[in-house]
Amino acid sequence: MYKSKRGIWLFILPGFLLMTVFVFFPLILNFVYSLFQWSAFSQSKVFVGIEYYKRILQDPIIVTALKNNTLYAIVSVLCQCGIGLILAALLENHKMRRFQPFFRTAYFIPSIISITVIGLLWQFVYNPQIGIVNPLLEALGLGKYTADWLGSSETAMGAVIFVSQWQNIGYIMLLYIVAIQKIDESIFESATIDGATGIQSFFRILVPLVKDTILVTCVITVIGAFRVFSEVYVMTGGGPGHTTETLASYMYRVGFRNDEMGYSAAIATLIFVILLVLTFIQMKLSGNFNEMKKVSKE
Amino acid sequence: MKKLICLLLALALTLGLAACGGSTASSSTASSTASSSGEAASGGSGDQITLKFLHKWPQPENVGYFDEIVAAYMEEHPNITIVSEAVADEPIKDKLRVMMGSDDRPDVFFSWSGEFARKFIAADAVLDLTDALDADDGAWRSTLMEAGLEPFSSDGKNYGIPLRLNGKFFVYNKEIFEQYNLTPPTTWDEFLTLCETLKSNGVAPLAFGNQYPWAACHYITGLNQKLVAQDVRMKDYEKSTGEYTDPGYVTALNMFKELNDKGYFNEFPNSISHDMAHQNFAMGQCAMLYVELEEFNTVNNNMEGTPWGFFAMPAIEDGAGNQNFLTGAPDGFMVSSTTKYPDEAIDFLKYMTSVTSAQKMIDMLGWPSPVVGAHTADNSPEYLIEGMQAVQEAEGMALWLDTDIDIRISDVYLPGLQDLLNGDVTSEGLMQKVQEIAATVRAEG
Repeated sequence: MYKSKRGIWLFILPGFLLMTVFVFFPLILNFVYSLFQWSAFSQSKVFVGIEYYKRILQDPIIVTALKNNTLYAIVSVLCQCGIGLILAALLENHKMRRFQPFFRTAYFIPSIISITVIGLLWQFVYNPQIGIVNPLLEALGLGKYTADWLGSSETAMGAVIFVSQWQNIGYIMLLYIVAIQKIDESIFESATIDGATGIQSFFRILVPLVKDTILVTCVITVIGAFRVFSEVYVMTGGGPGHTTETLASYMYRVGFRNDEMGYSAAIATLIFVILLVLTFIQMKLSGNFNEMKKVSKE
Repeated sequence: MKKLICLLLALALTLGLAACGGSTASSSTASSTASSSGEAASGGSGDQITLKFLHKWPQPENVGYFDEIVAAYMEEHPNITIVSEAVADEPIKDKLRVMMGSDDRPDVFFSWSGEFARKFIAADAVLDLTDALDADDGAWRSTLMEAGLEPFSSDGKNYGIPLRLNGKFFVYNKEIFEQYNLTPPTTWDEFLTLCETLKSNGVAPLAFGNQYPWAACHYITGLNQKLVAQDVRMKDYEKSTGEYTDPGYVTALNMFKELNDKGYFNEFPNSISHDMAHQNFAMGQCAMLYVELEEFNTVNNNMEGTPWGFFAMPAIEDGAGNQNFLTGAPDGFMVSSTTKYPDEAIDFLKYMTSVTSAQKMIDMLGWPSPVVGAHTADNSPEYLIEGMQAVQEAEGMALWLDTDIDIRISDVYLPGLQDLLNGDVTSEGLMQKVQEIAATVRAEG
């Protein structure tokens, strides 16, 4: 059976069919839609060709959105993959083991709360009149750093990104803890006997051994950063002005608020292309690609 | 081998297509059977008819009225079931568009008047109600104020039935005004002097929550109307001719910005919601609040006995627009053009706009009704009668800017107002952007 190529195709067929109907077909349809001018409730579609793709290149809000998404991705990778790993390593330290369940739960709780709840919660936290961020800063003697967090164009995006980190760091940390727990304890023990410091065993043993997980979390966070929608939609609605618009929130706004479904579909295609490229890069980095090639050669 | 692969692929694709074709076919038969059974239902007397009703008041203090009206109507018409759904102010703008594009259209649904409604009219998505209004020598039309019907009409045909007649006013705290010997202003200069007096006495003059920029847009609606000549403004608001080159638009933005720059608004308007602005006003932290007539009831409840009054946006000397206009617009309901039961839907709307229903609305919600004779000295608080009077005495209405201009222009204009408050864009810069998008929209027709 393993040698029968016919057998392979037979087994691929159901999956291929499902993918065709639910993934490839909509993808192609989305591209077709992006060539027409139409709104959600209009009966007619007007062919405009690649007009919308030209417009993407000139649209200043697309630039803002791309900048915001990139910033989101960079901060997410640094905070979630970086600090999340450090947190996991600290919690897995045998001195901390006793308290681990408490911290693990505490850090993880935000990621199981609905994003809508979190968005509204942080709207209150950031509120310059009744929120707690500004009074806290003042109490710490940092009064000059108080700001209209979500209302000012300089701080709004940062404030939204921060909430996202706060929410997701626990989830990523948990993935790392699982990965670290799979490492054979004796490796750490022998390193300690050989006189390795905590920092040395972190960089020389722990990091190389959880490399796969690091790559996975990077993929998750980067792709997540380019798809971010709810955080922005709930907390700022893309405002003030359009300063916190991301690709996904702008796509939604264009399609469902401005009645330009065609342009919205074009933005969707842009998001798809970006994610496709990112995924390819990451697959290449992780070596999955080479493995796939190896398998196909065999 | 290759042949086999090709064969299988072709098979897969045909199967896929067949699956798609099959599904559409089956769904269409399903809907056709549904519609035929529906027709049968409307023919038979005792059979059930289901009407979908979408409105925008899910808040517990408001939804009760609609639930009661629906329940009362269903009791009188046992063969009709009304499924109502309520979606709040901001989300309904998206939800309606999505629903109107699906097969799942609500039969009777809420709409703002002006461009918001015209969009549905242009797409043939809504039913022409002119005949229904004019039937029996205009029996229905005569019960409704023309000011409520007109903004829902296009080419002399009526497409919407108004639920409320709305105007925008400044409400003020009479105690604070008396304390500093102030009287409601009649001109913009007086208004600025008044704000200055309040500010120098440590009272924030205006409560303002611009988290969603429609709040700022209501100021601009009034200022634009007062500063730009009527015919120029109407030409600009029409998407096929809009240019926005009149200097009045820049002046309007400057005057609005002046209120912020001089500190007449509360701090941080961009992250404060309109509800919070209500609270700030009710607690006496701010002396004035710019609200709609429909909010008078809320203001009155929040003030808990503290006396308050209201005045329309003061006249601007040497403004090119008519100074006796009022900012405001009716909102109401439209009927989907694909409804299976137009007669029942219209009958339900007639029921909603009967004097009894309107008086119930005034009683429960304190909203201004466009139904002739609904407001009497007995059932309406004084402020509502005075407000209605101001609406009727106005020589015309300036419809909300965001529902009166093309949505693409409004999507530049409104968020721009937040930027303007933050100092990220100048008035001239914003109008330039508006002119650019207007040119694009004009070109697309």
